[in-house]
This record gives sequence, structure tokens and C-alpha cells, in this order.
Amino acid sequence: MTALILVPLLPLLTMAIVTIGPRGSQDRRAGIGVLPLVAAWAGAVMIFVQVVSQGPVSIRFYEPGSAASLAFPIGFYFDRLSATMMVLITGIGTIIYRYSIRYMHQERGYARFLALMLFTIFVLLCMVSSANLMMLFVCWQLLTPLFSMLSHRYEHQPTLDGAFKTFAMWRTADMAFLAGIVLAYALYGTIEFQELFARAAATPFTLSPLPGLEVSGATAVTLLLFIGAMGKSAQFPLHLWMPGSLYAPTPVSALMHAGLVNAGGFLINRLAPLYGQSETALHVVFLVGGVTVIFGACMMLIQSDIKNTLGFSTIGQMGYMIMECGLGAFALAVFHLIAHGLFKATAFLNCGNVIHKARQDPVWPHAGHLVEEHELPRLTWTIGFVTTLLLPLVILLATHGVLRIPLLESQGTVIFLLFAWVTSSQAILTLTRLRAVASWKVSVAMLLTLFFVVFTYLFAAETFTHFLYPNPEDVARYFKAAALPGRLFDALVGATTLLMILTWVYLYAQAHGRTMSMPDWVATPRDRLYVLFMNQLSVDVLYAKLGRGVLRVAHCVDKRMLGRVP
Amino acid sequence: MTDGSLIALLVAVPFAGAAAGFALWSRPQALKAWTLLVAFASLAGLMTIVGRFDDPVTVPLFLPLLPLVAFLTLLGQPAHLDNRAAWLLTLVLLGLGLGVLAGEDGVGLILLVLFFGLVGVLLYRYRSVSGAVPWWGIGTYGLGMVCAIVALIAVPPVSSVVFLVSCAILLPLVPFHGGYVAAFRGLPGNLPAFLAVLLPSLGFHGLLTLIPDLSESTVQTLAILAVAGMLYGSLKALVQSRVRLLLAYANLSFYSILWWHVAATQTVLPQATVYLIAVGLVTGGFLLAWHAVQARYGDVDLRGIRGVAYLMPRFSILVFLLALAVIGLPPFGVYSGFMGLLLAPALPLSGALVVIIGTMLAACWYFLGLTQQLLFGPHRPDLRYEDLCFTEAAALVMIVVLLVALGVAPPVFWNPAS
Repeated sequence: MTALILVPLLPLLTMAIVTIGPRGSQDRRAGIGVLPLVAAWAGAVMIFVQVVSQGPVSIRFYEPGSAASLAFPIGFYFDRLSATMMVLITGIGTIIYRYSIRYMHQERGYARFLALMLFTIFVLLCMVSSANLMMLFVCWQLLTPLFSMLSHRYEHQPTLDGAFKTFAMWRTADMAFLAGIVLAYALYGTIEFQELFARAAATPFTLSPLPGLEVSGATAVTLLLFIGAMGKSAQFPLHLWMPGSLYAPTPVSALMHAGLVNAGGFLINRLAPLYGQSETALHVVFLVGGVTVIFGACMMLIQSDIKNTLGFSTIGQMGYMIMECGLGAFALAVFHLIAHGLFKATAFLNCGNVIHKARQDPVWPHAGHLVEEHELPRLTWTIGFVTTLLLPLVILLATHGVLRIPLLESQGTVIFLLFAWVTSSQAILTLTRLRAVASWKVSVAMLLTLFFVVFTYLFAAETFTHFLYPNPEDVARYFKAAALPGRLFDALVGATTLLMILTWVYLYAQAHGRTMSMPDWVATPRDRLYVLFMNQLSVDVLYAKLGRGVLRVAHCVDKRMLGRVP
Repeated sequence: MTDGSLIALLVAVPFAGAAAGFALWSRPQALKAWTLLVAFASLAGLMTIVGRFDDPVTVPLFLPLLPLVAFLTLLGQPAHLDNRAAWLLTLVLLGLGLGVLAGEDGVGLILLVLFFGLVGVLLYRYRSVSGAVPWWGIGTYGLGMVCAIVALIAVPPVSSVVFLVSCAILLPLVPFHGGYVAAFRGLPGNLPAFLAVLLPSLGFHGLLTLIPDLSESTVQTLAILAVAGMLYGSLKALVQSRVRLLLAYANLSFYSILWWHVAATQTVLPQATVYLIAVGLVTGGFLLAWHAVQARYGDVDLRGIRGVAYLMPRFSILVFLLALAVIGLPPFGVYSGFMGLLLAPALPLSGALVVIIGTMLAACWYFLGLTQQLLFGPHRPDLRYEDLCFTEAAALVMIVVLLVALGVAPPVFWNPAS
């Protein structure tokens, strides 16, 4: 069993191959280095098969409960969640490494770059297979300087500013994570996952951080840990590092968007039993995720740069993932992060080629494209309108018990349907751009999209939920804890439906050359919102003001004391 | 405690080495080799007798640590005429430090008086380095002398209170930190780097003897002063452009965390010792690295030099590792010690924990700023960039290795009773 830990260690072997040896053979060694990574992927698949067939495997190099090993309790825990993540990380890591060999070829510090990237993959593998909260935190922290180092460039000031911002934001989140661990240990006396969950369930604590304010121990711990997750997963308002980090080389962006940002989703999943004990924490998670989705999506729409567009798209997707966690659909979040990781790695690794190709051929990629027709066919519009509004009707009927769907507990089904609706609507609205294609084809594509997305959510995602959380009672408990008040949920569905209808009306009017006169109270805020989103809601300005404020106080202290007190 | 002859021997080796060193005054290379040899001999001698001390925790740890740090800081110095006095003074201070640690109450206090006096005199002697007479620092060490003398002749509780003040001067605590800052700012050569470990070690050792006798009001006062020290040290460090001062104030905030922990738990865990030694070592490492910069480019501030990452790779890697260590990242000793303090069983949950975490966060801010300012950005074309020489790099590498060893070694290793 101990041999399983070789899988996380294999990237270190590649690192040794790349860094140790004469400079002349560097390229050959870098090529050979792919083999241990492929072996790591194969090993991860084997672990996956083993944990599915024989159950979780735990390997500890410390005495659980011993205070002596608190700072470095090295241990590995391979279960379905960690095995899934390991397959993803080793797979994407191998592809990105292979890509980097060519992409960074003849760059200054080539070997060091590859070594850092491999070490990051190693740390990620250790993080997802950590046996306890402290080892997870050790790896979590190590990612902060590693990514900062990967993003640094010697003399490029915007890159340096971005790296500084990333480091500062992540470290702030790390400190909240640390506070969460300290609180968890102080309340429950353990950092072992299973023991922590059991003790938190058995002995509920109530804390009073401020007069008149009482929170449960589980809520306080999970909220602090969630702030840690917010930093790595670029959740509002700790998302500001993301745009600045895009100056890093493309392989780093790919690794970041396909791997590192998923850390938040992984953390919440790993601690799902703890989050399941706190309704408040889950609601906060949902709220933060929701705000991040809106922010990321709006920001993405106004970008003119391909990497920035992808960056804000990631913020939105991470918000979506966190929102899923906030609704108790933990496994759905993992499903989402896998799909997003694969998609975003492909997109980033390809965007370098797109830019490169566009530089070589100025008319590319528009050459050969037909000019889009402006008219939106009536059939397309109608089918789109109906399909996007079909699901909210089903959701509302299911919520109020009119419609009984024998798939899961109704709350779970409703959550899955909700996400299926949002995803399919997004895809269907994108299909309306296909105006040169016959309207019946687009309409069929819309219907197929709807069925495909619903199938994916209700069967594939549900099957994945059963895979990750085999006990249906646990799943039901999480959904129950995360359930929003009925009226609020109805209002959310209603508001989204209204927004959808308005979008279709706007599309229809625009396609038929009709102008929509907006009243001032709509037009003025719309323009302001545009400017506000252009400036990223001025959150960075607020942070800068806060920083300047602290520095002003520090200067004031320094000047007043000068010559009198050292 | 051990017999008097042993203490005399401990103190005599470095003193005799310093005295004999004068014979090599005109040959800096030979003098440096001699001082290294003396520090090594002192270390080797201590390793053989360290088991004979009754003190179960700190003395066996600190006694070998001091000659080791003396050796490393001497090794990291260029063999230059200007550094000769600092080398010999390192041996003298080492002898006094060993005497304070190993001596019985009376002898230890007498040596402590001498120690305070010597550092005060040195601050006056080297006033030209900092440009002005550091009266605050000299006054603080003068106060330390007086307190040590009173502690020698008075009876408890007066002796305890004045000795606590002496400890607060050595292990910096607001408002007695002036001497510590002045020592960093004004002393030449490797002395600040050596004192970065020596002063806190002596203060902590003294504090250990006082913990059982501390009254409730004293403990509360210490806790308040410690929180004030964290805030004050962090704020002052944030605005420093002089590296030595930044390090001094950063240390004030770091050691205030330790003071608060001791006051809150009224115990000293092995992790506290790890934390103390690690902070001292990493600060010593930074001071050595900065001294290497000053040896090349003069007394510059942080704005005077930047962009050394590509041109001075050895220096840059080591400084970056030290920066990672000092902001409490694994696998270095500061991280292990800090986590050990925070996960102590008797630690009360209080608002001070927020300040502690804020202190570490502020440290991330200004240390990353320092590192980025120094290592990255456009380099100055008018400067000739010269990387660390072998001995400078070796000293820093050994410090980094020690920090990693402190970080990954289980805390029981530091508790001889276990």
C-alpha cells in the first residue's frame, strides 16, 4: 500500500531529470521527463480503480493525536475524491508539461521554469491526497509562493505587480485558513478529517465573537476556511489577482485555470461533512458564488483581450462551482471543475496558437467566414424561447410538489434542474448567433442541447454524486442543510426567468431592426454599470485606498515617534 | 547547575581566542580563520559537555547554538580590514553570552551586567556608522545594567520585576526595544547578525526562570505590551526603507507574539524555542545577506539597488528562501514554531489571535515588498553586480539548512527530557 505514495512523488523524478545533468542534454532530458508523468497518470488511474473496488486507503507517517507532529503530519488518504482529482491533475499536468517543453524552449531559465511547474504538480497531488487538515494547509500554502515564482518575470513591471497582488491576496486568504485551523483545533482538538467531522457533529459549540452575535463552532470554522478557498478560487472580492496573473506564460495560465483555481472547490468537498453542519456557511458560500458569477460574466463581456476574456470566464465558472457547493451539490461542483479544467486547459493551450497564427496571418481568423445575417428567424426564436422557459416551469412545479420526479429527493433534483436550466440557456442563447444556418437546424440543435444538458445533469452528474458520496443520506443531508427558504428560491427562479424573457425580447427586437427605448432610470444606470464593470467595480481602488490608509497610519506613527521613541 | 570551573572554561575559550586574535590584527585573512577556529572549538567543546547541565530545555539548546551562529556569521563576512574588530567582539560577546546562560544566578547576572555595558559602549563607539549618537539604545542598555544590578542585590518581588525588564530589553518588548533597534542599526560587520540570535536567546532564557513567579497583573501587563508591540513593530516595519531597521521592527513584532504566548499560557513549549531560534536565524541570515550588499555598494537603502535576480542568482535564491522562511511558510522553522504556538493546548481564544495573524500578514507584505524590490525590476546599468563569494554563500546556505532542519524536526527532538 505504501507504494501508492510513489504517484505524487513521480513529478519530483521528472524534476530531477530536468534539472540534474549537463546543459547540452537539457532538451533530451526534458523529453524523457514526460515518462514519469505518464507513469504518474497511470498510477493515479490504478489508485482510482483500487479505491473504487476496495475502499479508501490511508497511509500515515505520524501518530494521530500526537501534539509533536502537529506542524508536519505527513500522511496520505486516497479515496474517490482524491483519486478523481489525482487523475485530473496528472492528466492535465502531463499535457501542460509536454506543451511547455516546446513553448518555453530556449527561454531564459527554461529548466528552472519546468522544475517549478513540476514541483507545483507534486504539491497539488499531495494536497488532494492529504490525510489531514494540516498537511492540506501545508500544501495549500506552498502553492502561494510557487505560483508567485512562476508568474514573476525579471523586469516586466506589470507582471511583477500582478505577482505581488496574487501573493498578497492568497496570503490573506491563507491567514484566514490558518485561523480556521486554529479555531477547529481549539474547539475539537483534532486535525484529522473524520475525527473532526465526528466531533463537530457530537459536540456543538456556540461562539460569541461580538456582543449579541452568536455563531456555531462549525459555522465559524467553515466560514474561515471558506475565506481561504475564496482566495485560491478567485471569489469576489478576493478575485483581483486573476487579471494581473494573466501576464504569466501561457502554460502557467493553463495550469492555474485548470488546476490551481479548483483548490477551493476541492477544499469544500473535502470538508463537505463539516459544511453540511452549517446552514449559514452554505448560504454565505452560495451568496459569494452567486455574486462572483455575475461579476465574472459581466467582466468577461467587456474584455477585448483573449486571455483576459478567458480569465474572467474562469472567475465566473469558479463562482458557479462555489454556488453549487453552496446549494449542497458538492459532487456537482467536482463534476463541474473537471469539465471546466479540461475545457480551460485546452482553451489556454490553444490561445497561444491563435495569437501566434493571427500575428503571422493578419486576416486570420476572419478569412473565409461569412458575414453574419442580422435576422433572427422566427422559428429559432420561438424554439429558443420555449426551451429556455420550459425548465423553470418544471422546477417550480417540482418545488411545490405538483410534479414528482422519481430520480432523487426533490430538493436535489431541483438543484440539478436549476443548473441544467442555466447551462442550457447559456448554450441556447449562444446558438442564436448561428444565423447563416437553416433555422430548423438551429432549432433542432437547441432541443438537442436542452436534452443533452438535462441528461448530463440528471444522469451523469447524479451518477457522479452517487460515486463520490455513496451514502444517499449524506447527499440528502447536504441538500437539506443548503436549502434556501422557499420564497427566496421562488424569487430567484422568477427573477432569472424574467431576465431570460427580457433577453429574448431584446434579441427579437434587435434582430427585427426595432429599437427599444429605455427609460432614463434604466439607461443611466446601465451606462454607469458598464463603466463600473470596466473599472472592475473599483474594488482594486478600494483595496489601494485601504493600503494607503494603513501606510498613512504607519507613516504617522513613524514621524511622530521619530527622534523620541525608536 | 554545573560547577564553576566548567563555566569558567566556557567563558575562557572565546575570551582567550579574542585576546590571542590581537596577535593577528594586521593579517585579516589569518584573523578570520582564527576566529572561525575559536568559534568551532567552542562549539565542539560545548557539544561534549552539554549533557552535564541540569537545565532540561533551553541551556542544552542555546549553548551549542551560540558558537554555531557565531561561526556562521563570521564565515559570511568578507576578509576585510574594517571587519576585524567585529570578529573579535563576536568572540567576546560569545563568551559573555555563554557565561550568562550557563552561570549560576549571581555569576550569570554579573556577566549580564558586563554584557549590557559592553553593548552600550559599542553603540557609543560605533555611533559614526549610523550618523548620530543612539542615546535611546545606550540608555536602554544602561537601564538593563541597572536592572541586572538591582536584580543581583534585591529580593523578590523587586528582583523579579527588574529582571523581567532586563529580559524585555534582550528579547525586545515595547517600550524597552530601543536597544535592540539600535544594535541592529549601528553595530558594524557581523555583530548585528550575531546579536539577532544572542540577545533573544539570553532574554528568553531569563524569562523562563521568571515564569513560575509572574503575578496575574504582571502577566496581563505583558500581554497588553505584547499586543502593542505586534502592532507597533508591524506599522514601523511597513514604512522602513532601511533594511536593518525593517528587520529590527519585524523582530519586535515577531517576538511580541512570543511574549504574548508566554503571558497567555504561562508555559514554554519546545515549539516556542523553535520559533525563537528560527526567527533569530532568519534575521541573522537577512542581515548577513544585506551586509554582502553593503560590502559591495555601500550604505544604500532599498531604493538604491534592485533587479539583482538575474545578475546575482546565488544571492537572490538565498534571499528568496529566507523571505519564504520569515513569512512563516513551510518547511522552515518559523512556520513550525508559529504553528506550534497557535496550536498549543492551553492557548486561550481571544482577540489577540486576530492581531497575531495580522502581524504575520503584515510581515508577508513588507518582506515580499523587500524581496521584490531588491531582486526584480530593471537593474542599474551603472553598478557592477557581483554575486556572493563562496564563504558568504556557504554561511547563508547553512542558515537555510538549519531553518529547514528546525522546521521538519519533530518538536520532541528539541526537548531533551523526551
